[in-house]
Amino acid sequence: MMLRTAPGIALLSAMPLLASIAPPSAWVPARWNGANPKSLDLLSGTPINCLLVNSYTPEFVTTAAAHGIATLAVLKPGADPADPARKAARDGLQGVVLEGDFPTGTAARVRDMLADAHAVVVELTSRARMPLGGPDPIVGTYQGVWPGIQVLDNGAAKAAPSGSPWIDTNTGFIRSVRAWGPAAVWLGYLPPAHSVVTGERYQAAIADAEMAGARWIVALDDDFFARLERGDTAAIKNWRGMAQVLQFFEGHPEWRALRSYGKLAVVQDHDDALLSGGILDMIAAKHTPMRAIPGQRLTPEALAGATMAVDVDANSLTPEQREMLKTFARAGGTVLTAPPGWKGQSALQPDQITLDKAELDRLNDIWHDVQTMTGRKNLGARLFNVASMLSNVLSTDDGKQVVVELVNYSAYPIENVSVQVLGTFKHAQLITPEGIQKSLEVYVTDEGGTGVDVERVSACATVRLD
Amino acid sequence: MTRREWIALISAAPLLKAAPGPEGTPPAAPVAIAKCASYDEDVTAPLATMFDQLGGLAGIVRGKTVTIKLNMTGSPGLRVDGRPPGVTHYVHPKLVGATAHLMGLAGARRIRFVESAWATSGPLEDYLLDSGWNVRQLLAAAPRVEFENTNALGKGKAYARFQVPGGGYLFPAYDLNRAYEDTDVFVSMAKLKNHATCGVTLSMKNCFGMLPASIYGDDAGVDEPNENPTKGRSKIMHRGARQPSKSAPAELDPASSRDAGYRVPHIVADLVKSRPIDLQIVDGIESIAGGEGPWVRGVRRVQPGVLLAGLNPVSTDAVAAAVMGYDPRAPRGTAPFRTCENTLLLAERVGVGSADLRRIDVRGVPVAGARFRYEA
Repeated sequence: MMLRTAPGIALLSAMPLLASIAPPSAWVPARWNGANPKSLDLLSGTPINCLLVNSYTPEFVTTAAAHGIATLAVLKPGADPADPARKAARDGLQGVVLEGDFPTGTAARVRDMLADAHAVVVELTSRARMPLGGPDPIVGTYQGVWPGIQVLDNGAAKAAPSGSPWIDTNTGFIRSVRAWGPAAVWLGYLPPAHSVVTGERYQAAIADAEMAGARWIVALDDDFFARLERGDTAAIKNWRGMAQVLQFFEGHPEWRALRSYGKLAVVQDHDDALLSGGILDMIAAKHTPMRAIPGQRLTPEALAGATMAVDVDANSLTPEQREMLKTFARAGGTVLTAPPGWKGQSALQPDQITLDKAELDRLNDIWHDVQTMTGRKNLGARLFNVASMLSNVLSTDDGKQVVVELVNYSAYPIENVSVQVLGTFKHAQLITPEGIQKSLEVYVTDEGGTGVDVERVSACATVRLD
Repeated sequence: MTRREWIALISAAPLLKAAPGPEGTPPAAPVAIAKCASYDEDVTAPLATMFDQLGGLAGIVRGKTVTIKLNMTGSPGLRVDGRPPGVTHYVHPKLVGATAHLMGLAGARRIRFVESAWATSGPLEDYLLDSGWNVRQLLAAAPRVEFENTNALGKGKAYARFQVPGGGYLFPAYDLNRAYEDTDVFVSMAKLKNHATCGVTLSMKNCFGMLPASIYGDDAGVDEPNENPTKGRSKIMHRGARQPSKSAPAELDPASSRDAGYRVPHIVADLVKSRPIDLQIVDGIESIAGGEGPWVRGVRRVQPGVLLAGLNPVSTDAVAAAVMGYDPRAPRGTAPFRTCENTLLLAERVGVGSADLRRIDVRGVPVAGARFRYEA
C-alpha cells in the first residue's frame, strides 16, 4: 500500500534518532494494524510510545525503537507462546503481550525465558484472572465495556436510577483494580464490531480510562486505520482529536498520583469489583466522589478521612475487618451494610463483566439505600448539569489542591457546568485538551465550600482548585 | 412620555383582568405576540413590548409578590439531541431572567420561581443548576428573587388546599405547596410545544406541574404525603390506578374513565379553575414538536421564533395553539387532540376563559404572521 504522510503531521522518520524507550509503567499503548515504518509518522505529536503488533518487519521494529517507541508482539492462546516470544526478543521487540487466558503458569514461564533479554511480558487476561496486587509493572485485561451513553431501541437514552442517561463505563472497575496497587492498568477491549465509531466515541474511550488512572490500548477499526494511512482528512481530524485527549491526560502524570477526595468509601468483594455497571458506577453516575476499597484490603488507613462507608458484601469480610467497620461507626462514621443474602448465588461466568438483570435488580435495592444515605450531602464535591458526564475528584495528600476531571460521553459539548467542592480554595483554573488554560471565578457556596462555573466542556476538561 | 408609556396608552385601556364576555360567555383577554428569532437575540425588548401591549407590567406586579411557575418537564438529565433543555423542552433561562428583570423594574416586591422538580424534593436551585442555568445570575436579575420546589412541602409548614369552584371535574380540591397560595400574582411561563397526552403544552398544561409528587406521585404516601418523592405522577393522575395520599381529597368518581387522555385534561382544567393564572408567558423561540420531552418518540427540534403573553390562560393558549397551526376548538380525535380531550374547551366550559379566536384581541404580530406549523 502506498502510504502518504498525513498533512500537518511532521515526519517522524525525519526526526533525530536519539529517543530512548520509556520504562514500562510509562508506556502509552496502541494496537497497530500496519507494519509499514512510514505509518509510524502518524504517532508524531501523540504520546503513544508503545505499539502492540500482530506482525512486524525488522525495519518497522528498528524505526520504532529509534524513535523511542516500544514494540510488543501480541501472542494468543492456542499454541505455545515460547517460540514466538523468543523470536520477538531476538528481533529487538521490547517484549510480548499474552492476550487471552493462557494455561496457568504460562506467563511465568515466558517471563523466565525472556529474563536474560530483559524483555517485558504483559498479560491481558480476563478481568477475573488479573494478577492484582502482584509485582508486574502493568496489569491488563482484554475485557471492557465500550464507553458511552446507552441508547434504547427507540433512540432515546436509557435512564439511570437518577433519571440521567446511563453511561457505560469502565471507571468503577478501574478504581477497584487501582486500589490493589501501583501497577499501570491497561484495558485492551476493541471498538464494537459492525458499528460506525465516531471520533467522539474514541475520545470517550480514551478519556474513560485515563480519567480513572488507566490506559485504554488505543485500537482503531480497520477502516479508520486504512483511511488514516491514506491521509483522509476526516480521519486525520479524528486522530488529532484523540491525540489531543490522550496528551491532555498523559501530559499531567501528577493527576495519576492524586488520591480520591471523596468521603465515601465503598468496600467491595473482589468478584463484584471486577464488574462494570455495579455499585461503583451507580455512585459515579451521581457524581459522588468515592474511594474503592477491596474487601481484602480493608484497613483503618484505607478508611481514614471517610465519613461514610458502604459494605457491599459483609460475608466476604473477616471478623477483624467487620470490627474495623464497627470502630469506624463508633467514631462517628456512617456504615451501610447490604442486607444478608442479597447477593446472587450463581458464580460469575468467565466472560461476565456486567451484571445480569436479576443481580441488577438486587443491586438496585442497595443503590436506593445508598442514595438515601448520601442524599444531597456533599461528600467531597457536588456537580451540576453533568448528566452526560462522569467525573473524578482527586486531591493532593495535604488537601491543598483539588482536581476535578470531567469527561463528556455525549456527542455534544455541555454548557454551564457547576462544580461545588468542600473546602476553601482561592484560585481555580480550567484546563482543556484544546489548550485552554484559564482562571475561573471562585465563589462561596451555600454550604461554605467553593464553587466554580465552567462555561463549556467538549470531550473533557479539568478544574484545578488551589 | 416614554416609548413604553406611549405604547401602553395606545393599547386601549389597561387590561389588568380579562374583560367579561357577553352574559353567559367566558371572558376573553388580549394576547400579545412578538417575534424573536433566537435566544442569542435581545429577549428583554420584545418581552417588554408585549407587557406594554397588555397594559403594562407595573399595574400587575408593583408592590406584589409574584410567583412564576416554570415549565421544566422531566429530568434535566434527559436531553433532546444533547442540547440544553432551555432550547428544547424547558423554558429558556434567558427568558426567565428577562422576565424577572422587567418585573423588578416594574416594582415587584418579591419574585418567586416555582416548579415541581421531577422526582426530587431537593432545592429548586439544584435542579436549575442541573439544567445548566446560572442561578447566581437569576438571583441578580431583580431584588428578592426566591426559588421553591413545589414537588413537596418545601419551605412551608402545611399544604394549601385549593377548592375547585363549581365542584371540579375529577377532584373537588387539590393540595398544593403553599407558594401557590402565598402570592399576589400567579404567572405560568410555559413552552410552546406538543404534549403526548394533552396535545399541546401551553400555559394551562404547565400547571399540571403544580401537583406535588409527595401527594400525587407514584410513591406518594398512602395516608400522609411522602416528603421525599422520587417518581413521577403516572399512577394516580394519568392512570387513576390509585388514589392520592388520604390527607388530600380523593377523586370524585373512582369509576370514571382511567384514560390519561380523559383524566389529565380534566385535571388541568380543574387546576386552572382553582388557582387562576394572572399572567401567561409562552416561550416559542426555540422548542420541540411532537411531544413534551425527549422520552417521547419522534420529537424534533423547531425554531418558531415567537413569544406570547396574555392575561387569560384560555385565550392565551387558544392563540398559541393557532400559532402552532391548530384549531384551538378542535374536538377530540382531531389534531392536536387526537387521543385526548381539548383542555382549552374544558376550561372554557367552566368559565375560565374563551378559546374563541374571534373574541380575542391579538396585539403585536398577528397570528398569521407568527404562525409556525407544528405538523405538516
